[in-house]
Amino acid sequence: MLEILKDLCNLPGISGREDKVRDYIISKIDGYCEYEIDPLGSIIAFKKGAKTPENKIMLDAHTDEVGMIVTGADSDGFIKFANVGGVETAVIIGRNVRIGEKNIPGVLGIKPIHLIEKDEEQELPKKDDLYIDIGAKSKEEALSLVSPGEEIHFESEFIEFGDGFIKSKAIDDRAGCAIMIDLIRSELEYDCCFCFSVQEEIGTRGAAASAYTVNPDYAIVLETTTAADISGVKGEARVCVCGDGGAISFMDRATVYDLNLYRKALEVAKANNIKAQTKTRVAGGNDAGAIHKSRGGVKTLTISVPTRYLHSPCCVCKYEDIESVRDLAKAMISELAK
Amino acid sequence: MEFGEVRELLYKLCALKGTSGNESAVAEGICEMLSAYADTHIDRLGNVMGTRGEGFSILLDAHIDQIGLAVTAVDEDGFVKVARVGGADCRVLTAAQVTVHGRSDVFGVVTSTPPHLKADDSDNKVRKFDDITIDIGLSKEQADKIISPGDRITFNAPFDSLAGNRIASPSVDDRAGVAAILRCLQLLEGKKTCRLDIMFSAQEETGGSGAKVGAFNSQADEAIACDVSFASAPGVSAEKYVALGSGTMVGYAPSLDYNMSRRLTEIAAAKDIPHTAEVMGGRTGTNGDDIQVSGRGIKTALLSIPIRNMHTAVEVVDLADIENTARLMAEYIIERSAENA
Repeated sequence: MLEILKDLCNLPGISGREDKVRDYIISKIDGYCEYEIDPLGSIIAFKKGAKTPENKIMLDAHTDEVGMIVTGADSDGFIKFANVGGVETAVIIGRNVRIGEKNIPGVLGIKPIHLIEKDEEQELPKKDDLYIDIGAKSKEEALSLVSPGEEIHFESEFIEFGDGFIKSKAIDDRAGCAIMIDLIRSELEYDCCFCFSVQEEIGTRGAAASAYTVNPDYAIVLETTTAADISGVKGEARVCVCGDGGAISFMDRATVYDLNLYRKALEVAKANNIKAQTKTRVAGGNDAGAIHKSRGGVKTLTISVPTRYLHSPCCVCKYEDIESVRDLAKAMISELAK
Repeated sequence: MEFGEVRELLYKLCALKGTSGNESAVAEGICEMLSAYADTHIDRLGNVMGTRGEGFSILLDAHIDQIGLAVTAVDEDGFVKVARVGGADCRVLTAAQVTVHGRSDVFGVVTSTPPHLKADDSDNKVRKFDDITIDIGLSKEQADKIISPGDRITFNAPFDSLAGNRIASPSVDDRAGVAAILRCLQLLEGKKTCRLDIMFSAQEETGGSGAKVGAFNSQADEAIACDVSFASAPGVSAEKYVALGSGTMVGYAPSLDYNMSRRLTEIAAAKDIPHTAEVMGGRTGTNGDDIQVSGRGIKTALLSIPIRNMHTAVEVVDLADIENTARLMAEYIIERSAENA
């Protein structure tokens, strides 16, 4: 699963441009399940298990990552862009990116610190003032290399470091995708549907359509969520802790989770000796927001890999947590099927 | 791509890592590169010194230290606390990738404060330097085995080939200057010249100690310092700052030798070498300042290479500007050598 995760993370796939990620997933699940591609580009896969379940179960992870999109070039040849998904200025200035089909390299430049006025010292550049330098000398040259509407992704390769940690872009949510690929390639006790949904980062859009198509009784969303277990942060402010297993949400900004289902997940984890924890903050949102309201309603669970520095080029998580989330998801498929 | 020689030099030079006071890895690599053109040694402060030829002497200088950080402590959670080494830019550190040079090289990520822990009004504010910590994915116990206070930290980013002959990389300041001097020596190969003292100096970013000492040991008749300066970009007005690719910047300042500045400009014009003038009102803020008042004093000139995003991990340079700096130095040396033969 680690190799598949690495390949997935290194592929470009901002919202609406998930093609390469989709092609890779298909190459890994082909032969292990039936699948179709829906009109938006989500993969809806049906995996046959040993038994047919009483309840229809759907697992979901999103294939898109946050990034940027080319809006144009200014008269000096600098590329202007818009954010795709929630991207903070602080984590993109002074960084390397790649643009479009030709993988054009560029950097986010900034006015040198030596030239900053006193009143500019404490402020980051405004969003509208951000630009990407691809080395072009004119607007014509810039637009001969990149086009408006092309995707821009972070240049940040997958690295293992420290004590079992991973750094990469797009762990959100290639981790969820890797887990689902792993489950599809294994033997399952019960039939299960897997949705590799598009466009989560711009408003959980793919999942709205895929949940409608699948029409499940239960859904399990496999995500990543902010781990604030960094220097000096204590207690519940940490939200979840790397190394303590999948973080299960009882509530976030988009979903009030079924309390019994949330408690059940923690019980199942404990009974199976799988590490799991509670997400100790009502914050964020994910595909569960769209899924639980689909058609007549779906009982939904979210299990997340604790991830530091989310929505930056350098997401950090512990690989063993991805394994814990996979183990719990597998156990929950069997639990909810009955 | 054109300018293959300069590109190769810059690529090799930027791959070496060393901050002020910890340049040994860089010094060794550069010493080896310089030994193809001169007799070399490394002095007490870590300057790489080289010499070739006899008689009238010109000192060529570029600094080898790059900006970075230093470990001040490992906290109880295993995160690394830091101090600046040289003028590292705090604005671009959030979630940046670094290497901590401990007993072995350790990968790290500068932490980023999650939204729910930020103060309400802090959305677009630069974080304070004291809040910076580095995540190396280890417990304190594990970290203490590899990392100690004083260990240096450098910034990780790729050597990117942009359009045209532009490069984005960490430590273009001042490996571009080193590359220009090495290229100049390549251009002078096989030619008889006056004595050339080459000084690839340590500790420029922290106050110029290396250059002061190296220049004292050289006591050349003239010196040319080679550093980087500001190129225009969004927010860096083209009215005040030169364009990337506009050539080498000949320094003019009360503290620089006026004759040398004018001579360099004349030669550049005569030899069709793209150039601009960079005029400063006092000192230059480069090694040139320290070289000039070393010992009895040394007549000093300054050639600068325009770059964007100085002191970040994405400094952008046009290889043509490095090549033209090298060409001008070489032509100046040839003329001064002939005059002093």
